[in-house]
Amino acid sequence: MAETLQEKADDVLNRAILAAAEFQQFDQAQTDHIVEAVFKAGLNARVKLAKMAVEETGIGIWQHKVWKNVIATQLVYESIKNEKTVGSISDDPVTGITEIAQPLGPVFAVTPVTNPTSTAMYKILICLKTRNPIIISAHRGAAKCTAEAARICYEAALEAGAPEDCIQVISSGSRDFTHTIMAHPKLALILATGGTGLVNAAYSSGNPAIGVGPGNVPVFIDETADLPFAVESIITSKTFDNGTICASEQSIVVEEKMEPQVRKEFERQHCYFLTPEEIKKVEKIAIVPETMSMSPFIVGQSVETIATKAGITVPEGTKILMAKLDGVGKEYPLSHEVLAPILAYYSAKNYHQAIHLCIDLNYLGGIGHSAGIYSNNEKRIMEFSQVINAGRIVVNTPTSHGAVGGTYNMLLPSLTLGCGTGGKNITTENISAKHLINIQRVCRRKMNDKFMSVNHALYLDENSNDAVLQYDYHKNH
Amino acid sequence: MVTTDYNNNEKILTCSFPDRLDTNASLVIGEEINNTMGSIPELNGPSDTIAARIVFDMKDTSFISSSFIRICVATAKKVPAGHFSIRNCDPFIKKTFKISGLDIILNVT
Repeated sequence: MAETLQEKADDVLNRAILAAAEFQQFDQAQTDHIVEAVFKAGLNARVKLAKMAVEETGIGIWQHKVWKNVIATQLVYESIKNEKTVGSISDDPVTGITEIAQPLGPVFAVTPVTNPTSTAMYKILICLKTRNPIIISAHRGAAKCTAEAARICYEAALEAGAPEDCIQVISSGSRDFTHTIMAHPKLALILATGGTGLVNAAYSSGNPAIGVGPGNVPVFIDETADLPFAVESIITSKTFDNGTICASEQSIVVEEKMEPQVRKEFERQHCYFLTPEEIKKVEKIAIVPETMSMSPFIVGQSVETIATKAGITVPEGTKILMAKLDGVGKEYPLSHEVLAPILAYYSAKNYHQAIHLCIDLNYLGGIGHSAGIYSNNEKRIMEFSQVINAGRIVVNTPTSHGAVGGTYNMLLPSLTLGCGTGGKNITTENISAKHLINIQRVCRRKMNDKFMSVNHALYLDENSNDAVLQYDYHKNH
Repeated sequence: MVTTDYNNNEKILTCSFPDRLDTNASLVIGEEINNTMGSIPELNGPSDTIAARIVFDMKDTSFISSSFIRICVATAKKVPAGHFSIRNCDPFIKKTFKISGLDIILNVT
């Protein structure tokens, strides 16, 4: 008799829970030994896995996927290797509080088609570092390469003494199966990286979730920016893996007075400004009109492929298709997120209008994610940062690389970027091992001398107002 | 690896284990328990007809693998409900059974 979805989910979770039971007995040294073995195996497989991913998904550039695999293994490992994640992790004699790290239990990790092997390896490393078994649900379009990345990590983990079933991969199951696992009572956490639908499903499952959804990254080039540097940096970022990182630039906003220079600089660096007619043609293939979401058929595709699909001709060697738009919203489809080398471009009357445009773009599907600014004016950098709702505001930096962390700044290297409450997340941080532990606090008796010295009868007296109570609380006895 | 003691009067098979029951050790132990059970007539036959009891004594054990927990489940299934128990667990082992969600079925104390 065929297994039901519930029975299949029970089997996966029963294995995971046994792995969790065994794993919680491991000490820090045993745990670190496993993490080191897995990171080495993943790093050594970086090229093979990158090529597999591109071949299977048809998305991106294998050389860039190698870099993603390096970030997901070497840089993530370097950022967590010295972190205490087992047993007593801090002890403060002044407060009398000792913190103890405990694992969460089985983690369900959903991985995207855009960064399949790197996201899988990064999630495996942070789960193992925290003694949590991981169940990976690979995107249907990237099932083989994700399974291979998991297999390589699992074999290395077992060799290093990790519990059986500490890494499991569920084959490209149905949406119903994914939902059954997400809602399973034995699951501890869902670590979802993907589209809005998936993230919403994770949050409505009844289990705790860290779900990270889409961005729509505005970048402001201020008049004080070093223009050739800024444009080169934006091109580096937007062409990285054909624009598949969700923190990649989506719109460039400049002031009218410097617009001709900026345009000239983009053109000098081999970007092509689409005509209004060409913009219409690109819109048709890039954005699904019913949902205003990007078409999966252009995600991570090259400029040549996109141009061919759109039926337009662009100069050979074009790096990015630039679309000058006059507004933000559904009348301007390319103002929405597109994970491909297509960039919206805005000319604002002045600085204030430029900032208004950035806010509008930020709130068009990318609340809480990331934003960028090129400027040498610290006051403007801070003004911009305080009005933009983004977990990461990267300064004079390619946003793809900057938001992911570990290379251009000191942010934690991560392939799951928290978007705060704006993105319906619990944190704005880059998700790492520290988010996957339960911290218990041993609180030793430390009397609050001020409170103990208060005349407590005052609290029972209705005539004692806040001034009286505050005076008595703070006075020297 | 496993030390067994069968009390013929009380019809109780007690199994004691070493300090660490990792995956490799558990493979050996699983076979040893099966062999021992096979040699005791009161522990053979359909499970609902078995009169004897089995006790896993964990007093010397400080680490158990998921494979060992599977052995516990497999052994418990071979005898009637209530005829299998796990005794003398240290707190960490007790917690391990709790996390597995099998502490009640396996009668862990």
